[in-house]
Amino acid sequence: MERCVIGRISEFAPGSRKIVTVGGRSIGVFNIRGQFYALRNRCPHQGAPLCLGRVKGTTLSSKPYEYVYGRDQEIIQCPWHGWEFEIATGRTYFNPHRMRVKTYEVTVESAGADDVTLETFEVTTEGEFVILHA
Amino acid sequence: MPERPKSTPIIDCDVHNRFKDRQMSALWPYLPRAYQEDVREWGINIPSVGYLNGGDRGYRGDSWPKEGFPGSDLDLMREQLLDAYNVEYAILLGQELRPLSTLPNADYAACLARAYNDYLLEHWLSTESRLRGAMLIATQDVPQAVEEIERVGRLPGIVEVLVSNGARLPYGNRYYHPVFEVCEALGLPFALHTGSEGAGINGQPSVAGHGSYYIENRQVRPQGYMTHLTSLIFEGVFEKFPKLRVVFIEGGYAWLAPFLWRLDADWKGLRHQTPWVRKPPSEYVWEHVRFTSQPLEEPEHPSHLLEVFKWNRAERTLMFSSDYAHWDFDSPVDAFPRLPDDLRRRIFYETASELYRFHAQTAPVPDLSRSTTSEPV
Repeated sequence: MERCVIGRISEFAPGSRKIVTVGGRSIGVFNIRGQFYALRNRCPHQGAPLCLGRVKGTTLSSKPYEYVYGRDQEIIQCPWHGWEFEIATGRTYFNPHRMRVKTYEVTVESAGADDVTLETFEVTTEGEFVILHA
Repeated sequence: MPERPKSTPIIDCDVHNRFKDRQMSALWPYLPRAYQEDVREWGINIPSVGYLNGGDRGYRGDSWPKEGFPGSDLDLMREQLLDAYNVEYAILLGQELRPLSTLPNADYAACLARAYNDYLLEHWLSTESRLRGAMLIATQDVPQAVEEIERVGRLPGIVEVLVSNGARLPYGNRYYHPVFEVCEALGLPFALHTGSEGAGINGQPSVAGHGSYYIENRQVRPQGYMTHLTSLIFEGVFEKFPKLRVVFIEGGYAWLAPFLWRLDADWKGLRHQTPWVRKPPSEYVWEHVRFTSQPLEEPEHPSHLLEVFKWNRAERTLMFSSDYAHWDFDSPVDAFPRLPDDLRRRIFYETASELYRFHAQTAPVPDLSRSTTSEPV
């Protein structure tokens, strides 16, 4: 597990996302309403770039002919076959216990000289950085 | 995206090219003058059933070019499909005009088919050597369809004649036989692609009409294909046209063997009603019919597919297809369970290469502008 500095907090407005490569793995980092999340950018189904998918809510399981929309901004839908994943846990909506994508921790803190940086910016101890633990 | 060492070449039997704009303005110059005002005023105007689709407006979310629809940008198609997976040949099956046999107006439909075929040759097949194309026919008027096959069916780059699963009559019906006659004479497979079930002038999509939801509509595909397959066999098409080949595209594959078990069993006691069916129905299939793979069935245990492949004689009957750039795209690297090398070669290359005679068709695509009979303006 490495601490990778992936950008200044100012580069991650709420609603934005960034795809980074850490140790050969493509990972999507999301700021959703001020909260950070990270998911492996490879759908476990057929290898699609999952983190390019739509961030959305979904229709919750309901009674016949009833539509209940919920969980707004908590779901990402794979851009190929439409599988829905819970962004916070990586679990699929249709089978949360058996089918999921890997998640990573993201923190916002000062960076240190020992941190790995993925960008060419200078890391200082001033200000806050987004750090991916992957 | 796949970043792998150069893999062995494959053939992709179902790729969708689209027009850049919804109006299909690139098609207009290929239409006769008589239709140009109408098209300007009304659009191309082809019926659809009205179901939703999947993905991002029907396509892979990552397949939208900067401008226009997925499948309309050749560079992106190269990047995401041809180069990414080392596709030696990709067969273009069009998109917007495929349902033209749902139109009430037979002459307009025939004009659209001619215009599309000319457009396909000039805008796609002559611009990228890895592309091959299916020509469209309008089935409303068989003599015009035959004429069209004779007009463009011999041109390099055209590898099959394409219709939709949705139809007015099962395809074995004698109504269509002149089409098979010319397909056989020119060595062109007759291909069916999923779509148009219950649209326009076509029959109902199932024996009980329309389901309410798109997912139901997807499940009528094998029903249609079972109907067409039975019709082709029992109307004696393969006896009458022994060199004809038929391709079933995007209609499922795992249903085949159990269906043929039933058909062979029924035939033993009922063959006397159609005595021209000389062999068990399954034997006609092994010889004459090929299936494309996408969307490949996904059993709980992927290894179960290997059993199905044995039952279905996949080494003869199955050809890989991706359906690029539709949302239900099958990845050549991830859609299949691990296959023995020889079976993989059959499915991903050899069967299609033999069917479409690719090894014999490597001549460069010539300038086709003189072959068009429409009146570009």
